[in-house]
Amino acid sequence: MTETNLRDARDAIKRDVSPDFTAKVFAGCGLDRYTNAASALGEVFVAWSATGVSAVRVAADEQAFEAWYDERFARRCVEAVEIDSIAAAARARLQGEDVDVPVDLRDCSPFEQRVLHKAAEVLRGSARPYGWVARELGSPDATRAVGNALGRNPVPLLIPCHRIIRADCTTGGYVFGGDAKRKLLESEGLDFGALETMTRGGFRYVGCADGTFCLPTCGDVATRVSAPGYVGLRSAKEAHEHGLVPCRQCRPIAA
Amino acid sequence: MALACACAPADADAMLAVALARDLDRTFEHVVIAYRARIVTFVARMLHDDARAEDVAQDVFVRAYRALQTYPAERRASLRLRSWLYAIAHNLTRNAFRDAPPPSDSLEYDDGMPRTGLVDARPGPEHLVLRAEAWESIGDAIARLSEALRPAFVMRYVDDLSYEEIAESLDQPIGTVKASAHRGLLAVRAHLEKNDD
Repeated sequence: MTETNLRDARDAIKRDVSPDFTAKVFAGCGLDRYTNAASALGEVFVAWSATGVSAVRVAADEQAFEAWYDERFARRCVEAVEIDSIAAAARARLQGEDVDVPVDLRDCSPFEQRVLHKAAEVLRGSARPYGWVARELGSPDATRAVGNALGRNPVPLLIPCHRIIRADCTTGGYVFGGDAKRKLLESEGLDFGALETMTRGGFRYVGCADGTFCLPTCGDVATRVSAPGYVGLRSAKEAHEHGLVPCRQCRPIAA
Repeated sequence: MALACACAPADADAMLAVALARDLDRTFEHVVIAYRARIVTFVARMLHDDARAEDVAQDVFVRAYRALQTYPAERRASLRLRSWLYAIAHNLTRNAFRDAPPPSDSLEYDDGMPRTGLVDARPGPEHLVLRAEAWESIGDAIARLSEALRPAFVMRYVDDLSYEEIAESLDQPIGTVKASAHRGLLAVRAHLEKNDD
């Protein structure tokens, strides 16, 4: 055993570090990191901590993003050197891949977190009214508070707050603007032409061929309203008269 | 920020130190990337506990960051990063060492001298091929070194620090760390050769 071959051996006893080593160090230092990512709305900034993605935001440049982050979260966020698994998952998801992305909502109130988790249940190609979220959370009068909570969603696109719209099927507010919200929903398959036709006709629900009735924003039911077996409905009472039961997916009325 | 480079470690360290002085937060991840594997390895060898090594190594960097926050820019710029980080790692592992001392059949007597029966003054084979189990044995032998020899041995022969850097990290005279590293080497060699029989 000489000094030389002992040194040859040292690589063998070197330890690999786990992939989240740096993220945990940064968490201990009270720092978050960010990177750029391509999304359906163009280039966005994505920030993350050791627990998940903490922000998705459009900003003019790095300084503008860092200043916004500091003001919103009272923590410093610095440009990342390395992309770890959380940031990689966020990038993939923003590009449309179906991957799980952990989110860090620690700066949201418990109510805001409940609203955001409820919004996250709405699938691509569907939408729900603000009032629906309030009702599902057991606070049917909290429609405005739901709107405010969604407006403060720190991770838009990852938590699809754009899928929560007005009861009349118009878009309502959005952090990236109402036009962007409509464009996103259309790209996901929502047909605003069909929804407007329903609203103009005073139809609040769609009776479906499978014996259920749905919100017009439950998938593509609004586009089938004139198809055989489908019917526009003005009230839940009318649905009951047709012998229809509420859809278990969109839960159009209170249970 | 292109800080990672193919230059000598000392030059890379000097560049990192200057960058730390300019902007601590933006440079810190470069420091973590440059040193995480070395510090985790050092801590793992010092504690002989892979499971705890990462937690302690993370703490090394967090403490380094907190300290750097309090240093004025000129102190950061003149920092000898490598020996400074090892000094923090050594301090943190020293406490852990007291909690869990090496096994009773350690390779040295209490005064830090290798046990005579284990010492072989002959030079080792020049081209000893190290098998996987021999690498394991090295880890085992390091775990049996005392607190007096282990840090100097690991810094010198596992982490390849200069004696000057080791002396700085351990806050000991160069002569002392040279002697500790050498005694550690004799003890580890004797252990390996004994196990090779």
